[in-house]
Amino acid sequence: MRPADQIENIIKKMSFKAGPEMDKDLWAKTSKARNEFNKTILAPSQHNIGRIIMRSPITKLAIAAVVIIACLIGVSLWRTTGSGIALADVLARIEKIKAFRYKWSMKMTSEDPNKPYNFEGCATELISQEYGSITKSGEPGPNGGESTFEEHYFSPQKKTRIDIWHKQKRYSKAELDDVHVEQIQKSSNNRGDPLAYLKEIVERKYKSLGRATIDGNEVEVFQTTDPNYPTVGFKNPQVDVRIWVDVKTRLPVRYEQKLTEQTGDGNRFSQQIVMYDFQWDVPVDAAEFEPPIPDGYTVTVIKLPPNNEETAIQGLKQCVELFGKYPERITDVYQRVKLLLSEPRGDTLPAERLQEEIKGLTEDEIKNKLLMPIRGLERFGCRLKWDNKDPAYYGKTVTPKDADKVLARWKVSDSEYRVIYGDLHAETVTKEKLAELEKALPK
Amino acid sequence: MIEDELLKWKFKSGSKDALQRIYEKYRDYLLTLAMALVNDASLAEDIVHDVFVTFAQSSDTFKLRGSLKGYLATCAVNRCRDQIRASKRQPLSLDEDIPMKSVFNLPDTRMISDEQSRQIADAMAQLPYEQREVIALHLNAAMKLRHIARLQNVPASTIKGRYQYGLQKLRSALNGRL
Repeated sequence: MRPADQIENIIKKMSFKAGPEMDKDLWAKTSKARNEFNKTILAPSQHNIGRIIMRSPITKLAIAAVVIIACLIGVSLWRTTGSGIALADVLARIEKIKAFRYKWSMKMTSEDPNKPYNFEGCATELISQEYGSITKSGEPGPNGGESTFEEHYFSPQKKTRIDIWHKQKRYSKAELDDVHVEQIQKSSNNRGDPLAYLKEIVERKYKSLGRATIDGNEVEVFQTTDPNYPTVGFKNPQVDVRIWVDVKTRLPVRYEQKLTEQTGDGNRFSQQIVMYDFQWDVPVDAAEFEPPIPDGYTVTVIKLPPNNEETAIQGLKQCVELFGKYPERITDVYQRVKLLLSEPRGDTLPAERLQEEIKGLTEDEIKNKLLMPIRGLERFGCRLKWDNKDPAYYGKTVTPKDADKVLARWKVSDSEYRVIYGDLHAETVTKEKLAELEKALPK
Repeated sequence: MIEDELLKWKFKSGSKDALQRIYEKYRDYLLTLAMALVNDASLAEDIVHDVFVTFAQSSDTFKLRGSLKGYLATCAVNRCRDQIRASKRQPLSLDEDIPMKSVFNLPDTRMISDEQSRQIADAMAQLPYEQREVIALHLNAAMKLRHIARLQNVPASTIKGRYQYGLQKLRSALNGRL
């Protein structure tokens, strides 16, 4: 008999590889799925909706970095540096500013010869307290210019978000409700989840590096190298964060963040974010916030349902109407229905029903009327999970006829749960009552 | 690890290059895992296909936390479970994974493996599915036992038991053959 570790090693060595033909087919279908997905609906998830101006992860970093600036310049360290500049005073000035523009760039480099990696991105931002925000992101061009491949417009007044994808020649318009708008504003006004992260940053120690000159203006440079500086995707990096503050205006003129990590094989990975060309208190025109949609771009109009219990119930109803039963899972139900639409199997009841339902409908009608309730259901399910509301769903065993059986539940307080029953009525019950109800569920 | 973080990030930004890199990096890993779980080349290919197709369409919902490798492995395991359940039930329902039409008539020639790997997969196929899943996830997907316990929603001690029993059976099954 083989020793345990030997058998384990043998099993570990098991290897199956795709042959060239399989590889070609697999990649072709994966790639096709991606392309089709890009052509169809690409509405923001609930997660993204809450971060409208952070639609692009690159933008997210940039915005986070801007917030870092704001925080660095004063939230918790209200003190002067001996040079006369009080960072808290700088923060107070920024808070009074109605609109500002800036540019940023980011570079990431891996020195690993086996896994070389280079990434460069850049963007321009316009943030207005009155009109919302505009983000134009892209990559540096060959002659120092920039090529824009994404534009994002958020208007709290109009309650819309418009995303333009130039490479795909398409754009989407999301109609938001008050809750969505509030969520976006919370995140962009530093009151959302980035705040906790950034508060940690401003608690770091920083020092003044003295004065310098930028574009003929005298500035003071501040630096933090605290190893505990929060970073994304880095483990114990070397940190060097600097901010240049104009001595006259007491406003930032430049920000740099350099993170360097030594990987296990002795190579280095680094990331550099630079923010520059700050224009504070700029005049803005409402017209600037009207997205210029080029001719020929395809549009997807997204009417997102509110992320609440009512939406979830509508989604469950829609599933029953379309498929005659509840889905087994709700956290991927929309993805599954979309898959069913793209790869219909005529010999199955769900596919037949779905094909019947979509006859004569336009793409917008399919997305916004037929599928949106299901999308809302999936988002609601995912949100409960992300928010750790202790959700459970029993669509596998509970049917629309089960008026007394728990179909779905989630926590609303330490002692109470909200319950949706099989017949889709809902009520709040105590923890103890829920335990009884769940005990009675079929195994 | 860092590469995966960047890939996730770029993927969410809509980069097709990132998707291709993720595909190339994890294709064979998922194929091996699927083979360990279902021991059927055609089915394993369908599962890997399904994982990538769904993944390719998930950039707007894909959560940017946790390990990419673990995420893909979990997707593959869920599909394997669904396929196994589906094979016991008819007809296809909304909740089963929707098998893509297989255009492949000779799946064995499409997948490259050595004789030893095939023998191991055959031996693993003899195990109860729960034991097979623990062994495949631990040894082929390098997942920790406590993570598997969380995934299967059973106590860690049960997972350890399944692992040990499964290994013991494999040891007997493979003894003298490899």
